[in-house]
Amino acid sequence: MVPFTPQPKPAPPAPPRTLILLDPAHGGPDTGAHLPNNLLEKDITLSFNNRLRALLTAANFAVISTRTSDPSTLFTTDQRAEIANHARAAVCLTLHATGSGTGIHLFTSALTPPARSPHVFPWDTAQAASVADSRLIAAAIRSALTQARLPATSARASIRPLDNLTCPAIAIEIAPLADPSSSPTPVSDSAYQQHIAEAIVAALTDWRTANLTGAGR
Amino acid sequence: MIPRYQRVLFWSLIAGIVLMGSFLIHGCRQAHQRLTALNDATPIAAPTTASTQEITLYLANDADGSLAPDQRELALPQDPTLRARALLEYLLAQYSLPTSTHPLQSGPTVDDVFFINLPLATPTARNALSPATGMPSQDKSRSSHPAKSTSQLAIVNLHGSFVESHPSGIQVEALTLLSLIATLHSAFPEVTEVRFLVAGQPRDTLAGHADLTRAYSATAATPTETTKRTTDTQP
Repeated sequence: MVPFTPQPKPAPPAPPRTLILLDPAHGGPDTGAHLPNNLLEKDITLSFNNRLRALLTAANFAVISTRTSDPSTLFTTDQRAEIANHARAAVCLTLHATGSGTGIHLFTSALTPPARSPHVFPWDTAQAASVADSRLIAAAIRSALTQARLPATSARASIRPLDNLTCPAIAIEIAPLADPSSSPTPVSDSAYQQHIAEAIVAALTDWRTANLTGAGR
Repeated sequence: MIPRYQRVLFWSLIAGIVLMGSFLIHGCRQAHQRLTALNDATPIAAPTTASTQEITLYLANDADGSLAPDQRELALPQDPTLRARALLEYLLAQYSLPTSTHPLQSGPTVDDVFFINLPLATPTARNALSPATGMPSQDKSRSSHPAKSTSQLAIVNLHGSFVESHPSGIQVEALTLLSLIATLHSAFPEVTEVRFLVAGQPRDTLAGHADLTRAYSATAATPTETTKRTTDTQP
């Protein structure tokens, strides 16, 4: 006779670790924009990637980045899209910086969503099936940035690799923060970057709670 | 007594001076003739009177990412391609003014503008998907001898130095393209698609971001009369 041993009570399921893909734009010989004070866009995007990655990980997101250093050779947008599409991330964020305009510019693809889900995804229009989700997440991030008193605009644009991604994808472009009383805050300002990153993480956390927890992604 | 070799040397030097002097005078005359020819104000074509007309420029604003219409009175050439080029050069010249809300460097901007009737004989790469199949749309009913269409594709050939000096950024590049497209479509309503070349060659991006490999829909880029283009609208 086998003695009865009580089975341990199953632990409640842990919340799903939603995968976020970060793509710090440019790198290597592709320096991106030349910003004031001899700064390069590729360096700003990498530093913002590291900051955002740490905050997302702390918020229980699984995060992968298309690059974590400055590559020695050209890292094409097609290579970035391949990494993102193979990872099957829940959200893809491509990170940019510019010296023009002010605040944070959010961009989603200008592709038109198809009426029905396609069986195959043509490379140049792979984002079309996810455009609706992309715009919802962009609206959530814009709302979080506005709540954090950061000026944000959202628009649609045709840029690579955004159009080649199968995941919901948003391009986040950081511009200097205009200040009427003093000189603009540069995009390299760590407090400014931290403020933006915290707002993005808050938006993605709310979005995960509202949309993905029930779906089990 | 002057030695003979010194006399020969003296007259040789005199001859050289005369020769060089005549050569210099001849060169000066030729240079003067060339300059006179350049400054020749004689008309080579009959003068035409181009009356001014009202045009709509769609001016970009970097501060809020908007595109706003602005009415101007402008005299433009009658030839459509010259007219389009003059219009776009005038538009981009506005951005080099000190008060510009979308500052760009001055200098040559547009080399040429060409118009091609649509549909083309070969399908163009487009980003629109077929609602039925989800594949890039291709008009299967297109015959080998298409009927005359009123829609046109405009090909804008940008000057290389303009592109090289253009600020880099998603918003600033997209606004430049949308400003060009909307202004062109306003003056030429038959233009429904716009493609861009740089110094006669295809190019991936304007300044590292905005895609130049695709054709842009002119109708979607132009704000309607009742809505000023701001952010979050379809380019």
